Amino acid sequence: MARHVVSAALLWVFLTALGEASIFLDWFPSVGASEAEDFDRIFLVLLAMGFPVFAFVVAVLVYSMLEFKTKDPGETGATFVGRGLAPRVWIAITSALALLVMIYPGMTGLAELSKESGEGGWGEHDAELVVQVTGFRWAWKFDYPESGISLLGAQEELVLPAETVVRFDINSEDVVHSFWIPAFRMKIDAIPGRTTFFTVETKEPGSYDTSTVFRAQCAELCGLDHSGMVTRVRVVTQEEFRDWVDSQTTAAARGQ
Amino acid sequence: MPIALLRLGSVFGGIGMGLFGFYIGLAVTAILRTWFGYPDAWERDVNVAVGYCFGVFGWLMGVGMWSRWGREWFGLKTYPSPTKGWWRYFTFNTDHKVIGIQYMVTFLAVFILAGSLAMLIRLELAFDGLQFFSKSQYNSIMSLHGILMVAVAVATVIGGFGNYVVPLMIGAEDMAFPRLNALTFWLVPPTALMLLVIPFVGGLETGWTAYPPLSVVTTTGQTFFNLAIITFGLTSILGALNFIVTIIYLRAPGLSWGRLPVFVWSIFVTSWLALLYTQGFAVALLMVTLDRIGGMSFFDAANGGDPLLYQHVFWFYSHPAVYIMILPGFGIALEVIAHFSRKPFFAYRYAVGAFLGILGLSGIVWAHHMFTSGMPNYLHGPFLMMTEAISIPTGLIFLCALGTIWMGRLWLTTPMLFGIAVIFNFACGGVTGIFLADVPTDIHLHDTYFVVAHFHYTIVGGEIFGLFAGIYYWFPKMTGRMYNERLAKLHFWWMFIGFNITFFVMHWPGIQGMNRRIADYPEAYQPVNLAISLSAFMLGASFLVFLFNMITSWSRGPAAEANPWRARTLEWQTSSPPPLENFHEPPRVLGNPYDYGLPRPPHSAAPQLGGLPAGSPAGGAGGGGGGG
Repeated sequence: MARHVVSAALLWVFLTALGEASIFLDWFPSVGASEAEDFDRIFLVLLAMGFPVFAFVVAVLVYSMLEFKTKDPGETGATFVGRGLAPRVWIAITSALALLVMIYPGMTGLAELSKESGEGGWGEHDAELVVQVTGFRWAWKFDYPESGISLLGAQEELVLPAETVVRFDINSEDVVHSFWIPAFRMKIDAIPGRTTFFTVETKEPGSYDTSTVFRAQCAELCGLDHSGMVTRVRVVTQEEFRDWVDSQTTAAARGQ
Repeated sequence: MPIALLRLGSVFGGIGMGLFGFYIGLAVTAILRTWFGYPDAWERDVNVAVGYCFGVFGWLMGVGMWSRWGREWFGLKTYPSPTKGWWRYFTFNTDHKVIGIQYMVTFLAVFILAGSLAMLIRLELAFDGLQFFSKSQYNSIMSLHGILMVAVAVATVIGGFGNYVVPLMIGAEDMAFPRLNALTFWLVPPTALMLLVIPFVGGLETGWTAYPPLSVVTTTGQTFFNLAIITFGLTSILGALNFIVTIIYLRAPGLSWGRLPVFVWSIFVTSWLALLYTQGFAVALLMVTLDRIGGMSFFDAANGGDPLLYQHVFWFYSHPAVYIMILPGFGIALEVIAHFSRKPFFAYRYAVGAFLGILGLSGIVWAHHMFTSGMPNYLHGPFLMMTEAISIPTGLIFLCALGTIWMGRLWLTTPMLFGIAVIFNFACGGVTGIFLADVPTDIHLHDTYFVVAHFHYTIVGGEIFGLFAGIYYWFPKMTGRMYNERLAKLHFWWMFIGFNITFFVMHWPGIQGMNRRIADYPEAYQPVNLAISLSAFMLGASFLVFLFNMITSWSRGPAAEANPWRARTLEWQTSSPPPLENFHEPPRVLGNPYDYGLPRPPHSAAPQLGGLPAGSPAGGAGGGGGGG
């Protein structure tokens, strides 16, 4: 018994180490917001916690299949029935693990996200820039209430300033959509009849041309052209953003 | 035979009466619409919905309700079910063994069909852009794959093995309500028909989740879907009721709750889940149907409705539904692991406690499917904690499996390999589940291929692998013949490797920002999708080996012994296949089912073979020869 326990434990340690090594791999696409950094960090924490658990199951299964197999069904194995300490210890350990994951990174991460308790949205209301997002089959519409700019996402890019706290207020005109910018690792549904929001703090400039995660993608099945409900996102420096706003507003003024 | 079949109640009568009822329903609606001054007599959704209700009633009357209940009630002559011949499978047969095989064959056919749809999905997704299907066709294929596989996952193990094996395992002659049992099965064909005609009535573009308002404004296919699923829900509820009563009241003398085989426990707990929660799905779809054809506005925000209402009611069923799927998979896995480890079941009472814990918790975790739905923020915390808490009873299942295998003498037959694979796959699915239960990670991963990979790991890796463990384990009992062990092992390794490559790789595009349910994707995701598609085709091809083995072994495999696995449970103490009344004399239970190697009494009193020539030992204990 002791020999088996030690051997299986060594296999477990080996498999765990193998798994944990993968944490140094490049897991994530481009980062466009500080919220994306939070996601990446928490993902790796969970990954680091998950490997020992998975490796334990694999180690016991593989070791047993190699070491305890027989071709003679007349043989019987050990006769312990699991009435003693083992199940209780197991429950204690799994409960502790569950509680740990619940608290960190679960509830601690959630506390960061749920600043506005009674509403449906991620982050704080306060923002330096507000963009109103409206989903309809099958495109996004963007309004910048401060500058009066209006964009139709099928043709135009969503332009955002870098290093700025941006809040998206999200609505839908027809069916349920979901507003997702993978570069920000942020998503919330667009629902007819209510306004949802999320707030992000953008990072360095980036665009769809350099990484496809700079896109606003509908992530809730909305019918025929669900997969085509995409708007390219361009994060530019604050200076470029001001120029862009000026050019848009003068263009709009000239248009009138 | 035809006249007798009509009197008995069979598919012939069912089709006739069903069509008759359907047209009556159409006509009644058209007449009423004309009479009350509607602009046109024909509004497809309304007429079809009424026609369907009449048609299902006609179908049930024709298929056997009249011949079984009606004729008896009115004092007319009744006819017994045929006990021999292939046509008994097409009659209103009340033998639980016939019904089990009816379920099993029907849903394996659905499984192959829905699996073929998966192949079409992977064909389209192998390259970016649209190659083979239009977006509308893709949505229909994806939606039908989803709902058909959900039906397979809900009904195959419970309907197939639950019906065939549970009465045998508890030493009963039949289910508590045999006629209700037959009725339960014969509700399936109308369901299947309605789902299969969807491509011809505008397709389905809402997935199996059918979220309104889209499902309210979409094509007629949605109405067909709704009616089918409401009917199918009735199947689940009635079947669950039957299992609960059967397991409570028909256990053999001596078969106390503490001696009940763990598979029976899993079906018992699953039945409670199905009985308590299935109404949620039916009600959600009924409200969608009423919005569509009755002019109501449950989900129309402009008229005081709320789209989120649907999601709550829907997931109130559909989360417990994943346990309806997975618990029987656990049950089979633990069952075969116990028998093939040749060792007492480790912590049996904790396994039962785990089942009951899952039963208790599964009803209060549903909104973890809605973390990004825009529901009020204060709801996230409780659902996050409840969801993490359910990993504690689930973890106990792992303890029982690993503790039973540890220091056993593992007889690595095909069912055992599938049983072990359930534990392996579900460990992976369980760990990835934590990422989705934690709100901060779910916000990004929700509705991506990470989710697709996760739930295929749990449902396919957990339940469908369990299903195949069960198919190989009980094949000799159900057919009286032995399958080809070498082909079966080939199937296992082929399927296991194909499955793990396909779905392990699938996590990656999810993290990288590829969402699910899309016909097309940005070019950057093309290489990984091609790799997934190729390995998915490999996975799909493994089922050809399975089908070949099943067909050849069932038709001309070597005769099976009564107990080829030398298992202790009751179903192996009678002939293969069992006689009509299951046991020649009612069995008595003396001890635990899993006490291998312990100096304790056997599970049941002397073998109940009744001197039948129950098959020669030709194939040997492990199978082997014969087949193809």
